[in-house]
Parts: sequence; structure tokens; C-alpha cells
Amino acid sequence: MKRPAWLRRPALLLMTLPVMGAVTAWAVPGSAAMTARPAQHPARPAAAAAGTTSCDPTASLRPAGPPRVAPGSFMAKIRARGYLIAGVDQSTYHFGYLNPLDGKIEGFDIDMVHAIAKAIFGNPDKVQFKAISDAQRIPDVRSGAVDIVAHTMTINCERLQQVDFSTVYFDAGQRVLVEANSPARSLADLGGKRVCATAGSTSIANIKAASSHPIPVAVPFWTDCLVLLQQGDVAAISTDDSILDGLAAQDPWTKIVGPRFTSEPYGLAISQQHPDFVRFVNAVLQQLRTNGQWAASYAHWVGTPVPAPPPAHYKA
Amino acid sequence: MTAVGDPPRHAPDTRRAPGTRPAPGTRPALRQFLRATTTPAKLRLLLAGLVVLCLIWGGLAAWVVSQRASGANDVVGTSEPLSLDGQQIYRALSDADATAASAFLSGGLEPLAARHRYQADIAQAAAHLESATAAAGHSPAARDLAKLSAGLPVYTGEVETARADNRLGLPLGAAYLREASALMRGTLLPAARDVSAQADAQLTAASGQATGLPLALILLVAAGLLGYVLYRAQRWLFQRTHRRLSPGLVVASVAAVVSLLWLAIAFTVARGDLLQARDHGSAPVAALAQADIAALQARADESLTLIDAGGDDSFEADFKTVEHRLGPGPGTLLTDAVTAARGSPGAGSASAAATAATAWYAAHRTVRSLDDSGRHTQAVRLVTTSGPGHSGTLFTRLDGSLTAAIAADQVVFRTHAVAGRDVFTGLEVGVIVLALIMAAGCFRGLSTRLAEYR
Repeated sequence: MKRPAWLRRPALLLMTLPVMGAVTAWAVPGSAAMTARPAQHPARPAAAAAGTTSCDPTASLRPAGPPRVAPGSFMAKIRARGYLIAGVDQSTYHFGYLNPLDGKIEGFDIDMVHAIAKAIFGNPDKVQFKAISDAQRIPDVRSGAVDIVAHTMTINCERLQQVDFSTVYFDAGQRVLVEANSPARSLADLGGKRVCATAGSTSIANIKAASSHPIPVAVPFWTDCLVLLQQGDVAAISTDDSILDGLAAQDPWTKIVGPRFTSEPYGLAISQQHPDFVRFVNAVLQQLRTNGQWAASYAHWVGTPVPAPPPAHYKA
Repeated sequence: MTAVGDPPRHAPDTRRAPGTRPAPGTRPALRQFLRATTTPAKLRLLLAGLVVLCLIWGGLAAWVVSQRASGANDVVGTSEPLSLDGQQIYRALSDADATAASAFLSGGLEPLAARHRYQADIAQAAAHLESATAAAGHSPAARDLAKLSAGLPVYTGEVETARADNRLGLPLGAAYLREASALMRGTLLPAARDVSAQADAQLTAASGQATGLPLALILLVAAGLLGYVLYRAQRWLFQRTHRRLSPGLVVASVAAVVSLLWLAIAFTVARGDLLQARDHGSAPVAALAQADIAALQARADESLTLIDAGGDDSFEADFKTVEHRLGPGPGTLLTDAVTAARGSPGAGSASAAATAATAWYAAHRTVRSLDDSGRHTQAVRLVTTSGPGHSGTLFTRLDGSLTAAIAADQVVFRTHAVAGRDVFTGLEVGVIVLALIMAAGCFRGLSTRLAEYR
């Protein structure tokens, strides 16, 4: 794996200094400061509001101080194994994708995984990436096939029944991608038209639920959607703007239209068997938020201006 | 033939046997004719019968020969080329699928050799598609060939889009390659498999027509019947006339024996050649081609698993299925191919292929364990580059051995099938001419005797 973006590009670091200042203003490193934070996540996920299970989806387990591999913990087991196993995406440009130029999996999600590996091993490259589809994320976490999933995964109450999530590390929202000459502005204009999303994503569920009744088309990977759009098999792709940005970057003859109509807070999924690992990962994420690495990754993969990182929100 | 229409008692009758006068006019004319009592009448009857019999024999023999010759011609001229086209289309497309995948795996700067191999595969598939379409006519294979002709440009278009995107460093390229491979595996290869199967069935039918026993037996029975009739005729004539054998009938008998010998030898030799062509040619070729196509499918699986790197393990599962089917081991494609090739020039290469397969599987397991432990780059290197113990090198050895065995046995097939077909050269005309000689001989032999009564 190549060196982290903030090491390769000092300019990025300078650019993100003001952001880091802002971050430090509200979250001083160390658990003592963090305990004072009230729950103030800006957007509640749509699925949570509509779901039958009421819960506070973005509230995660509070870290017990800075990341530390305690003897007998799940992290100690990972360390004994020699590498972290992460379930990631291989086809979402800028979040988790196999870069054909160097044959490596890279992206914003992947930076998070490297940071966790660094916290466990002191070496960000002690990771085995397992590229999985959207539909495989929950089964793989539950079966223990992967230690953690970093895969543009929305936290919601339904999923919280099956897996645990870290604190929110990215805020996305669903929008619509169409070809440049399409008159459609939103799902409301796509009634009866074929709209693509991956199987097992919250996006496909939102397309199914749209009142205009578009025809949902489910595929394994997001790039498969772009193939279908380019071949004229679907009229639009609708998913998180983070993912759509990556698709639009691969085809200049597409455009993202309409406002965000859902809120999709991304979390790292971990088995409910390993609350110690959830706390550990939350501690790592808190370090990233405060030491500028989050902002550097954002600037590198998503672009500028860099917003404030989503604040950590913990269970009472 | 003049005698047939003449009244029975037309010639002077000096040696009429007693009590053999025809019954009064109440009987049908035919019965009267058959009950002809006078020797000249009997001679006339015999003459007519023998001439007709010789001509019928000639017609029957010529028909059977033409059936066999057209079967042999069909084997050499139509079925074998179509079967070969079918196999080559299937093989070239499988190879294109495997090569495109492993070239893609190498990244934006794919190896030139892989690029050339892919282009050669597509060119070969297109060329064989064209000649197969011409050969297939309106046979059932035509529909599958049309499907292939329509799908091939779509496939190449998707592969080129994948290349272009890959060259730009876009992950979209992998999606296009998956799409292309899905088209290949879901539509094109099944159509190619059907073409190949139909062509093989046609080849089996043509070969059966050229070597089948029932027609030859009918001919043998007819020949026996004719020989018996000729023998009885000459015996009767000898008893009646106390004359030496007539030269005409002797000529007819000799002609009959010659044509019978010619037929028997030609049928035996052609059958031997064509069976040899089948057993040491087309049968091992078909078995080897099946093994090669399965190997190519597994090779594509190996690359696609590394490209796909997830989603699901369907490609690796497919590899295991194909490995199980390919062998070596009892009842597997490779072992069957080695058995089929036994005694043929391809036998050595076929055995080498079986050994190479085992070595390749071991290398594949190394690739999988590298990839599964997160060392994707090293796994890719083992697949895409050559070197001792590299999966790429060992697969090339397997594929090369199978291709060499196929080429060797194809030569056997071609040589024997052509020899088998050439045995029939002139036979059809020959049996007709001999039948006419027989008819003429009978006519002359009997009409000489008949003249003695005038």
C-alpha cells in the first residue's frame, strides 16, 4: 500500500490546518473531553425514522481512552494472527476501489482501515482486504469472515439488530445520477423508468419505496450500474452522493441531479461479539478526527472544501 | 431383349418334352408364358431374367456404393470441416475469454504477447465462424452460428471498453470485463458448444453411413443370389444342350466375381480407414478438445477471481468444479482423452497434459493462498508472468500439450479419412460398367444358344 495521503502531499496538510483547528475546538483528544459531548448528530437517517425499530442509530460504544490493545482482547487476537481482515468495496471510485494502475485497493474507506491496522500493529499495511459485495457485508461480519467492514455502509436500526457500528465517519445522502442530456431531476421524474442500485444497499430499498414507482434494477457492484447506464439499459443510478461522485468522475457525460433526499451516515461494521473492538475503532476514529488525518483523507479522495468530520456520538 | 415379347412357340420346336404343353386358354397369359415348354422359350425367358437381374444388381450396387461414397465424402468434405470449425470456434472463444482476463489482470500496460494472442483468437473465431456458416447451410447449427456472429462484435466491443477504462485507471474497466465475460460464458460459449455438438453428431452420422453394415449385407445377399442364378443357369444350359460353357456366360461370371471382389475389398479397406480415422483421429480429437476447453475455462476462472476479488467466490467455485471434471482421475475429461488417444500420435502429448494439469492445480492453490492471505499483487504476478512454478507457465504447458495432441490426431484423422474416401474412386462407375458387361455376357451367351434352334 502506498503511504498515507497526508505524508505524500504536504500541501494537503497545510490546506486542512484550519479544519483541524475547528475540529480540535470541539473535541479535545482524550476521553475526558469527549464525555462532555451531547448527542448532536445533524441528520437522522431516513431508514431509522421509517423503520419499525426505533433506536438511536448513530450512538456507538464509548472508547475507553486512546486505542490500546489489551491482553485477551479481540485486538490481541488480530495481532496474534498477524493481519487485520477488512471487508471492503473494490469498485467504488474514491471510497474503495481496485486501482488498475497499481493493483491496490484504495479510497477513503480504505484509509480508515489502514489507520486501524496502524493502531493495532504500528504498521498500516498489516491488512488483508477482502473485496465483498454490498449484500455480503452483514453475513461476512456475522460469520467472522472479516473483522471489520469499511464499505460505504449506512448505519440504521435494522442493521444494528445484526451488527454493531462504529461512530459515524462520513455523512452521505442519496441523490440521482443521469446522463448529461436527461431531463430528469429526481426519482419523481423517473416513474416507470429503470433505476439502478446494488443489491443489498439502502439505496435499492429507497428506490423501491419511491412514490413515483421507478423500476429498481439490482446489480452486484456500483460500476455495473454505470455500465448499464452507458449501454442505455437503465435511465438513472440512485445512491449516496459519495458513490455517485465516483461514478460521475468516470464518465463526464453524466450529472448528479436533485437534492439529497435521504441521510446516510456511514459506519464501520463490526460483529456484536466484539464490543471491545468497537470501542477501540471509535478511539481510532476520534484520533483521526482530531489529528487532521480525517480531513486529509477527505481532501484527497472527496475534494475541497473539507467539512468538519461527523462528530462522535456515544450511547448514554 | 427381343425374346421377351415373342410368342412362346415362335421358333421351330424339335425337342419338346412330353406332357409339358401349356394348359388351355383359361389360365392367365403370364402363367402360360412361364409354363413355356419349349427349350427356346425357356432360353428366352432365362435370357430376359438374367439381363434384368444383372441390371438390377448394377443399379443396387451403384446405389450402395454412392451411399457409402457420399458418406465418406461428407466426412471429409463437410462434417469434418464443420466439426473442426465448431471445435476451433469454441476453443478460440474460450482462449479469448481466458486471455482477455489475464491480460486485464496485468493492468493498463498489458503484455504485448497477451494482446496478440487475444487478437489471434478473435480473428480465428471469426474465420471459422464464416466457414462454418457456409458449411452449415440450413442445418440446426445455423441458428447458433447466427447467434455467435451477432454476439462476437458486442463481446469485443465490451473488452475494448474495458481496456480503455483500465488504461485510464478507472475501476469501471473491471465492470466492463465482467460484463464481457458474462456475455461470453452465458451466451457465446454455450452457442459454440451447441455448434460443436451438432457438427460432431453430423460427423458420426456421415461416418456411420460410410461404414455401416446393413447396406453392405444387402449387397452381399444380392451378390449371392446373382451368383447362384448364374451358376444354375449355366448348369441347366449344360444339361439341356450338352455344350461347353458359353463364352458369354463365362464373361458375365468373371465380371460378377470381379465386381464382388472389388466391392468387398473397397468396403473393407474404406471401413478400416474410416474407423481408424474415427478411433485414432476424430474421437481423441474430440476428447482432447473438450479437455482443452475445460482447461481454458478454469484458466479464465483463475484470472477472473483475481479481477473480481470478491463479490462472491463463484469463479473459484467454478474453477473447482472444472478441475473436478477435467481431472486427471477416473471418468474425467483428461483421463478419457488419454485413453482415447492411446495408440495415436497424440498419446505422448495427452499424457504430458495430464501431468501438467496436476502441476498447474498445485500452482493455482499457491495463487489462492497468496490472494486469500492478502498478497494480491504476488498472486497476480504468479498468474500473469512466466517462471518456474508460476501458474501462468504451467497452464501454458497444459494448454500447449493438449493443442499439440489435437494437432497430431487431426492429421491422423485427415489422412485416414481421405484415404477411406479415395477407395471409392471409380467404384460406382466400375460396378455399373461391370453390370453392363454381365448383362451383355448373359445376352450373348444365351442368344448364341438360342440361334442354334433357328
